[in-house]
This record gives sequence, C-alpha cells and structure tokens, in this order.
Amino acid sequence: MIKLLKIEFKKILTYKIFWVLFGLYFLFLGAGLLMAEFMINNMVDNMNRHSPIPFPHVNIYFFPWVWQNIAFFATIRYVLIFPGIIILILVTNEYTFKTIRQNMITGMSKAEFLASKLLLILVISVVMTLFLTLSTLIIGLSHTSGITLQLVLQKSSFIAGFFVTMFCFQVVALFFGFILRNTGLSIAIFTLYVFIAEPILYHLLKAPFVFKNDISTYLPVNSIIRVTEYPAIPVLKQVMGLNLQDSVSIGACCIPLLYAVAMIGIVYQSLLKRDL
Amino acid sequence: METVLSITNISKRYGKIQAVSSLSLDVKKGQVFGILGPNGSGKTTTLSMILDLIKANSGSYQWFGKPPSTAGRKRIGSVIESPNFFPYLSPVVNLKIVADIKGIGYADIDRVLQLTGLYERRNSRFKTFSYGMKQRLAVASALLGNPDVLILDEPTNGLDPQGIAHIRELILLIAGQGTTIIIASHLLDEVQKICSHVAVLSKGRKLFDGRVSEVLAISDSMELSARDREALALAVKAYPSYHSMTLEGEKILACFSDPVDPEILNQYFFGKGIILTHLSERKRTLEQHFLELLRDNA
Repeated sequence: MIKLLKIEFKKILTYKIFWVLFGLYFLFLGAGLLMAEFMINNMVDNMNRHSPIPFPHVNIYFFPWVWQNIAFFATIRYVLIFPGIIILILVTNEYTFKTIRQNMITGMSKAEFLASKLLLILVISVVMTLFLTLSTLIIGLSHTSGITLQLVLQKSSFIAGFFVTMFCFQVVALFFGFILRNTGLSIAIFTLYVFIAEPILYHLLKAPFVFKNDISTYLPVNSIIRVTEYPAIPVLKQVMGLNLQDSVSIGACCIPLLYAVAMIGIVYQSLLKRDL
Repeated sequence: METVLSITNISKRYGKIQAVSSLSLDVKKGQVFGILGPNGSGKTTTLSMILDLIKANSGSYQWFGKPPSTAGRKRIGSVIESPNFFPYLSPVVNLKIVADIKGIGYADIDRVLQLTGLYERRNSRFKTFSYGMKQRLAVASALLGNPDVLILDEPTNGLDPQGIAHIRELILLIAGQGTTIIIASHLLDEVQKICSHVAVLSKGRKLFDGRVSEVLAISDSMELSARDREALALAVKAYPSYHSMTLEGEKILACFSDPVDPEILNQYFFGKGIILTHLSERKRTLEQHFLELLRDNA
C-alpha cells in the first residue's frame, strides 16, 4: 500500500500539468463556493422582475444547511470534471509513455497497478474532503449566529456524501481512461458523456411513456452527482415543490459505490485480457 | 545446468499474421542467448510474451522452473523495444520508481548510471535525452539490482558506433559475472560477437538453435578455373568434402563442408590431370551466410 503510494507520488510530484490542473480546480471550486450565494440572488432578482410577489434573497452559508449547500455546489458537473480529467490524464499517460509496460516488466502486477491508481483517487478524495470540511466550517462559522455543537454537526453527513461523489466520479474517469487508453480521445468521450450523452439519456428515460419509475436517476454519473440532490434553499421548496433531503442516505451512496465496484472489476478484467 | 527459461510451443497470431508459431526454446544459466532474425520474425513478440506483456494464443513458458509470476519478473531486467520512461522525470527518479517496484533500495542507482555513462546527466529530464541516452537509461534500468537474467531487445538499435561498442562491452562484462543474458537482434555480427548460443527465427518459426560456433559454422569456398571446365567440375564433385558448386562466368565457385587447404586441393587436381589456371580462397561474410540460412528455409 505505502509502496504503491510512494511510486504514485513520484509520478506526480514534478508533473506540471497535474499541479496546474489541480490549482485550477482549487481556484474554480473556491470561487464557485464563494460566489454561489451571489449568483443565486442574482437569479432571484431576475425572477422578481416578472413576479408580482418578490422572493426574498437567500442565505446559503449558515449552519446547519451550509454542509448541504457546499456539498451540492462542489459536486456539480462543471467542478467535478477537473479531478475527472486529472485522473484521465494520469491513467492514459501510462499508455502514452508506455510506462505501464515498463512497470509490468519490472515486476509490478496488474492488480498492484490498478490499486496504485485507486489509492491515488482515494488520497485525492480524502484531501478534498478535508479541504471542504475546513472551508465549510470557516464559511459556516462566519455566517451563523448562536452556534452550538449540535447545530454545526446536524447536517454533516453531507460531507460523507461529498466524499462518495468525489471518489466514484474519479473511478468513472479511471474507467474511461483504462478502456480508451488515449488521452485526447478519452477526455473528449468522457466530457461528451458527462455533459451531453448522459443528460440526453436522462431526459429520454424520464419521459413518462418510457418508464414509470425513476430509472433515469440510476444512470452512473447522475447517481453519483445526486448523492446531494439539491441545495437547501427555501425558495426551491416553495416554488418548485421539491422535497429536500434531510441527510445523505445510505441508499443514495450505495448506487454510485456499486457502479464504482463494477467499473473497477471491468477495468481489472480488461487489464488481464488485453495486450499491453 | 539449471534451466532459466523454458518456452514450450508458444504461438501468437495478430489477425491474419502468425507472428510466432509453435516456438520452443530452453535457456540455461550463464548462457548469452541470442535470438536472431530479420525484422518481423517474431523476436519482440516472443520477448513480450515471456514478460507477460502479450498473451500467447497457445503454449506456455516457465521462468526458473516455475510458472510466471511477479516474483520471477523481479529477478529479470529487461529492455523491450523503445525505452519507456516518464519524460518529465529525471533518470534518477525514473530509476527510483523501478527500484520501488523491485523492492530494492536506491543504493544501486548511482552505479548503473555510471556504468551506462549517464551519471553526469542524472538530474536532467528524460525528454531532453538523445535517443542513444534514452536507450542507455533503459539498459541502466535493466541492470538495476543485479538481476539474474537480462533481456535485451535490440539493445544497440539507434546508437552511434561508439555507443554500440560501449553497450557490447557492458554486455560482455555482465555476462562475465555469470548473469544469463537473452538478446534479440537482427544483426548477425552482434550475435556472433556477444552470444554463446543462438536461435535463428524466420516468420515466427525457429530454424536452428545451438551454440553460435555450430550454427554459424562457416565453410569456406574456393574460386577455381581451368582450361577444361567440364573435367574440373567433375573433379570438384568427386572431392571428399564437396558440398556445392556454382558457376560464376569462367570460374567455378566450389563450397566444401570442411576447411580446405589450397595446396592439397591443387595437388588433388594435378593428380587428376587438371591444371588450374586460377585458385583463390573466398571467405563468405557472416551476413551472406545468415541470408543463405534464411533463404534455404523460406
């Protein structure tokens, strides 16, 4: 385990593209989180122009709801795509540089090779979860009055949900990387799938004449992103009649985790069967 | 002698092309084993199969008398096709990754960099290297941790004459320490200079294998001419170690399966009443001999 991580860290420590993308991800994530409230209130202002009864401005940064709101905005497709692309590049680089061959002939097993990439995903997920926990605490504490420990911890299950989303989304990227093996191709197909193909499929399956039940919510990327369904904004409940979740349910985490397990299994089988 | 590598009836097909067909080989400890064949004869495919990079369609192989495993592969140092390293990492870091995988310390890194003449450039990025330096780093990585077996696929490909000489010296040095070495090459000359044993491959089939001195044994040939060519030809055919004969203009090129002394030959013809007007030895080059081997078995 430690040995595999040591190898993985050597591969990324002086890899500029990794750090540039990771920096951009941090920048994007941070800016997104800090500007989310401003952007929502902008939308509220727009709505109010056509509405006889004005909606009040929202406040999304106070405890306990801040957990849910930050987890939601940190797992929208536009933000998640960054760690996804990072993983795609790291996996496909091994094929471009043929270093996977070099690793194999040196004596690494295919299981170890896959495990080393999964460990890296795990570490990135843990680091990002810690970062988000810290950010949420800072943002929440500075926007909430009358803080009690119970109030702070009440909705903290959303941070666990964030971790599941982070991990599983990167596993999907790993899957595309190992199956397609080519950096450019895999980034293009992965991005198209996440932003276009699956949303189209989602709406097709959602049409009432196709399936009665909510089968569309079980699509891989959708199920991963929907661990945190909506931000906790009162206006959503009032206007759109959405049922806001109280906490992250075990069931909602199980589906993406099952996808992750299945994809890891397929990647391992393909590593065993295909020539390098 | 202990068998290091044993290949049994291994085959690989890429679509319509039979890259390797039913190949069997045994490599014993301490041999410098050359796999000789023209481009596309299945050398790299064979090496890739015994390193588990490519799945064989049929057949099997054993390393150190056991089925293939990662533990076995850690005892082997290999250079296969092009040198494959992270372009943005220095040779030292690239070799540290190799050392981590093999589970050995970093103490050996300086030694292999010095052996391959890369020590001065140990902290430059791999992508700034010339092809020859990249190839030498591949050799350095194969040497890391003193493996029991060294597999080198065209190790001198793309090197300048000085680099070729250097790598060959290095191989002989390592062979001298008792390391088993398997070299794939399309250069007969290289195999002749380095190897103790050789297998000749053509179109994925093994033509010969054995000691280099036996397989590549060269029979000399003689250029002969005389006034009466027909009588000469008959006399040549009647010679005890006669092998074959070709007509080259006025001359007859006679091949013998044993070395022939020109003086004895001259006496022989004189005894038969033939007076030679021309007699000269012609040594076949190794390259010619190799091409003939391949042609005879095409």
